[in-house]
Amino acid sequence: MSDRVILSIGTKKGLFVAEAAKRRRGFTLRGPFAPGVAVYSALIDTRGTPRLYASSCNAFFGMKVLRSTDLGKKFKETKSPPAFPKDDGRALANIWSLEPGPDKKDLWCGVEPAALFRSSDGGDSWALVPGISNHAHARKWQPGNGGLCMHTIYRADDRVHLGISTGGHYLSEDGGNTFSAANQGVGAGFTPDPYPEFGQCVHKITGHKDAPGRLYMQNHGGWAEWDGPGGRRPGIGVLRSDDHGHTWRSIAKGLPSDFGFPIVVHPHDADTVYVLPLEPMTRTCPGAAPAVWRSENGGGSWRRLARGLPKQSSYFTVQRDAMDIDELESPALYFGTTTGQLWIGRDGGEAFECLFDALPPIHCVKAAVV
Amino acid sequence: MHRELTVSVRIPGPLREYCAGASELTVTAPDVGAALAQLEREHPSLYRNICDETGAVRRHIAVFVNTSHLRDLGGLGTALVPGDVVTIFPAVSGG
Repeated sequence: MSDRVILSIGTKKGLFVAEAAKRRRGFTLRGPFAPGVAVYSALIDTRGTPRLYASSCNAFFGMKVLRSTDLGKKFKETKSPPAFPKDDGRALANIWSLEPGPDKKDLWCGVEPAALFRSSDGGDSWALVPGISNHAHARKWQPGNGGLCMHTIYRADDRVHLGISTGGHYLSEDGGNTFSAANQGVGAGFTPDPYPEFGQCVHKITGHKDAPGRLYMQNHGGWAEWDGPGGRRPGIGVLRSDDHGHTWRSIAKGLPSDFGFPIVVHPHDADTVYVLPLEPMTRTCPGAAPAVWRSENGGGSWRRLARGLPKQSSYFTVQRDAMDIDELESPALYFGTTTGQLWIGRDGGEAFECLFDALPPIHCVKAAVV
Repeated sequence: MHRELTVSVRIPGPLREYCAGASELTVTAPDVGAALAQLEREHPSLYRNICDETGAVRRHIAVFVNTSHLRDLGGLGTALVPGDVVTIFPAVSGG
């Protein structure tokens, strides 16, 4: 019986694990694991006995994948991290995403420079997925501010959606063997062509198992006022697809900014989606007053959720993997900030409370009920 | 073993878990590249901490031969002579 909530919190200075009973009244904190080392991705794998995974981006000694089999009381390195073949010429710079694969011990891993790896033994060995890693476009992708990263892996049956910054959205419909750019309707603000075939700065993609074919995307927005070649590009930052990602349309109307990083779907309602708008130039909250915005009709309209959050003087960023939601009946939203605060938004984001206010800058937050 | 080509490699504390706790390893190699290649064969996980997949020494790792930084010598082709000490350092960097 699931009776505990586990949060895996990746920070600039290591991995923390928070745990609470289902009522989520008091969270205890463990860590840091891999102290002093940046953690950009984490996974709480609830298939069978829960396992926690995290990447460890060691500036000195390279990448590691950490694994815990006791709910984050201790972590050990897996036998090896992903690695490019020796004759490839690329070297692993970071690990940006860890996701479960189709079989019980399968793991998928998106890395920088943008490439995809798979493991069939729980992270002890890895194989490059050539269909995307050696795609004809791969050497034409350009790094965004965070590097050239494959940050999103979203699987829906035999379809695999990948988000690459800046490469765009790539779709496989054969279980991950072959991939095609699928960016119709996904705008780019930093190229003369507002709708290129690929090269968009996608920030995050998500979906819901109860709405097959529907996807939500937080893209790099903030181009409504652009007056250079190609003209204005309003609303390209928050998008929706209803055809498995082949085409996309804006759902940004009503938001204070279409720029942001994370996008999260309610666990029990595919129409309810959350974003955290940021000012495009500063990547901080509009008016220095942070708020999560929620749509309950698939992006048709949006409502500001800020009860309990600071009303002024807040200048943090919430990064692409730093917001998540648990799966309890009345789920709680969680987000971590670059100023080291971890917030919980109870009752689906109706009321926020700061759980921890002095962690290192937070890169990722994952929540699970175990 | 060619006794005249035997050199020692000093391992920093954070990396000793990758070579059974050893603070010093002995290799038989004519140059630094060959010394690292021997580490790769005998202690692959230790090697991965020092060099990336392309074989390059990681950006924040400093390799010294005696008291000289590898960048001031001949890079991986720097010749070794008997009794040389190769030292692996985490570079001074961070934030």
